[in-house]
Amino acid sequence: MASAPDPTAVPARWDVEVDLVAVGSGLGGVSAAIAAHDRGLSALVLEKAPRLGGVSGFGGGEVFVPNNHKLRELGIADSDEAGRAYFQFLSAGFANPALQATLLANMKPAIEYMEKEAGVRWIAVEGLPDYYYADAPGSHSGGRYLSVDLFDGKSLGAWQQKTYPMTPHVPPGALHREMYAWGGLACVTKWDYELIGQRLGNDQRSFGPGLMGWFVKAAMMDRGIPAHVSTPVRSLVVDGGAVVGVRAEQDGRELCVRARKGVVLAVGGYDWNRELAKQFEAMPDWNSACPPYLHGDHLVMAGEIGAAIAAVPPTDLALFYGYSIPGEESDGHPLHRSSWECGCPHALWVNRAGRRFCDESFYKDYQPRLREWDGQHQTMPNLPPFLIFDQNYRDRYPLGSFMPGQPLPPELVTQADTPRALAEQLGIDPDGLERTLARFNEHARRGEDPDFGKGSRPWSVRLTGDQSYPNPCVGPVEKAPFYGVRLVPVSVGINSHGLRTDEHARVQHLRGRPIGGLYAVGNSAALLDMGGGYQSGTSNMRAITWGWIAGRHAAGA
Amino acid sequence: MAEARYTTSTRVPAGQVWDFVQDMDHWARFVMGYQAHQKNSDTESVWTLKGDLGVMSRTLTFEVLITEWNGPSQVRFTLRGVNEPMSGGGAFTIEPAAAEASVAGAGEIVAAGATAPAPAPAPRKGLLMRWLEALARWFLRLLGGRAQREAPPAPGAGGAGSRLSFELRIDPGGPMAPMVNAMIKPLLLPAAEQLADRILAHLEEGRAGEGAPR
Repeated sequence: MASAPDPTAVPARWDVEVDLVAVGSGLGGVSAAIAAHDRGLSALVLEKAPRLGGVSGFGGGEVFVPNNHKLRELGIADSDEAGRAYFQFLSAGFANPALQATLLANMKPAIEYMEKEAGVRWIAVEGLPDYYYADAPGSHSGGRYLSVDLFDGKSLGAWQQKTYPMTPHVPPGALHREMYAWGGLACVTKWDYELIGQRLGNDQRSFGPGLMGWFVKAAMMDRGIPAHVSTPVRSLVVDGGAVVGVRAEQDGRELCVRARKGVVLAVGGYDWNRELAKQFEAMPDWNSACPPYLHGDHLVMAGEIGAAIAAVPPTDLALFYGYSIPGEESDGHPLHRSSWECGCPHALWVNRAGRRFCDESFYKDYQPRLREWDGQHQTMPNLPPFLIFDQNYRDRYPLGSFMPGQPLPPELVTQADTPRALAEQLGIDPDGLERTLARFNEHARRGEDPDFGKGSRPWSVRLTGDQSYPNPCVGPVEKAPFYGVRLVPVSVGINSHGLRTDEHARVQHLRGRPIGGLYAVGNSAALLDMGGGYQSGTSNMRAITWGWIAGRHAAGA
Repeated sequence: MAEARYTTSTRVPAGQVWDFVQDMDHWARFVMGYQAHQKNSDTESVWTLKGDLGVMSRTLTFEVLITEWNGPSQVRFTLRGVNEPMSGGGAFTIEPAAAEASVAGAGEIVAAGATAPAPAPAPRKGLLMRWLEALARWFLRLLGGRAQREAPPAPGAGGAGSRLSFELRIDPGGPMAPMVNAMIKPLLLPAAEQLADRILAHLEEGRAGEGAPR
């Protein structure tokens, strides 16, 4: 029987020859291409999706950099030492010290390089605190998050149509500072939609689409770095133990690309490889808010040539819970939204027993509690969680894209005149829910949550709180009718497993040596530089920093 | 408010166009994003459409009420969103084409905010608007939804042909109305073009006796 052809074998001829191939067009791949190009290398970006930008172009667009230069320009005090202490706190002892030190030493140079040399216009988001401010060592009250200035989509030329103009997860056309000045997510009905409409009409992009727009412009328009969309890379090509190119697929034909100096895997995680995700993340269910192109290709391709896979504790994940609104789709799949409603007043979460189990306004608290395992009964008692809210909530705040007053789809939202009736319809213990609401409301009327401290995190208050309340995240759930939504996990592409890399972003072989010519950055690289914690904006920061490191290293820097 | 009006000509006589258009079952599936429709009476129907904004799509349900029935030349209607705060309306207008007045297909989009029923002068389209319209057309072609009538046939000799105009007006409501308006504005003219062109392409193929393909 004839054996199948070796997909890693050197092809008879190369279709294209360049110095560096970036596989994936998010921040990691494009940053690597920019860095390599600026060091004299020829670069090529290959993207599986029909648009450039990856998860970076679909997300919130925050970039977390302690003691960044924009913060200093505003006269806000911070220090590298404080930033280091905060990252050590986040890592909880699970980070690789050398990788974390490399990340911290290079994040500011990389970010500043992208401003000076690539024209990215950073803005510090004032007043948005670190997740763990003020109790964590080195935490900061606001300014470490960078976002970008509005990006003119028209400046992308032919790439305008092949990038994300907006993301369904955040109202488009607003800057972070405006979002918070307008009252944050709880006050989304009060945002300036005249201004947003004008910007939308002019394709002025913000959040992730804006961030990615600046990078695509720098790479593809200003530098002329070629990129191909709808061109998935199928395998790495190996010669003498080193990666020397890739086999891609374009229009149904194989495209063999030689990479003289290196291949950078920047394809994100494995959110859309549902079975892999459930296994690696030890979750009974899995959904993603990301574009449907994250299949763990990096693990397959690099694993095929002996690469080591590493993991961080699942506490590190940016895992949310949310829902899919019937009829809403993205890229032909049901669109999953993470639920931030639970951070607003007049809303809470309960489990099937009708009991609360977390600070609903702080997902880093709810995430590990959702994973709680009852060894006596072989169950996960907090799955699924149910979002419960009342008419006070409906009168004030949206649910996903449904504004107050707009009818909610009964396929998604259960409604009842009493908590007991609601519990019965949702399959929740009615007595448990009644007890929970009685206790919660007793304290909520005073703006307190002695059980779980909802609203005690300044970050939560800023993001989802209603500042008109004594406790911006807490209000009683007491006005009929009552509403409930059964929630499902919604990942945002930040997974616990990835390729093991070293301080040059080189992928490590199972034998503990670097694989020549192969780099992994962004969410394709295991989060060993972060360890056991996460902070929004660190994924984008990691992608830019490690992409920049990889591109420079390939060029011999 | 976003509004679009599209007029195109055909060699098919006006009476034949009217006979086809007056029954929505004939052309329902030519509507952009069509999912389903249900006739509740001679004047009332409920339509389910899938609205696509490029990065996401959403299923929308509209109640449509026929407000004027001026056969065989015009039918006017209003629409109201069931699950979205939207309202609007539109009209089909069918005219016999005078030989000297043949129009080879013309479309225009009227400025948002124009509320008078009389057509407002069309402003010069910005680059972005033209690009978004082109994008919508490209997307429709990709889906196989847009009839290829690049050069609509001129009316037959002796003015036997006709002109078909389709007007569509959408007025989003709620706090996000300006944003939604900006999102849907570029889609309306391609939607009007698609419906009129697919109806006429169907008739020009001599398939007036058939409903839209399923």
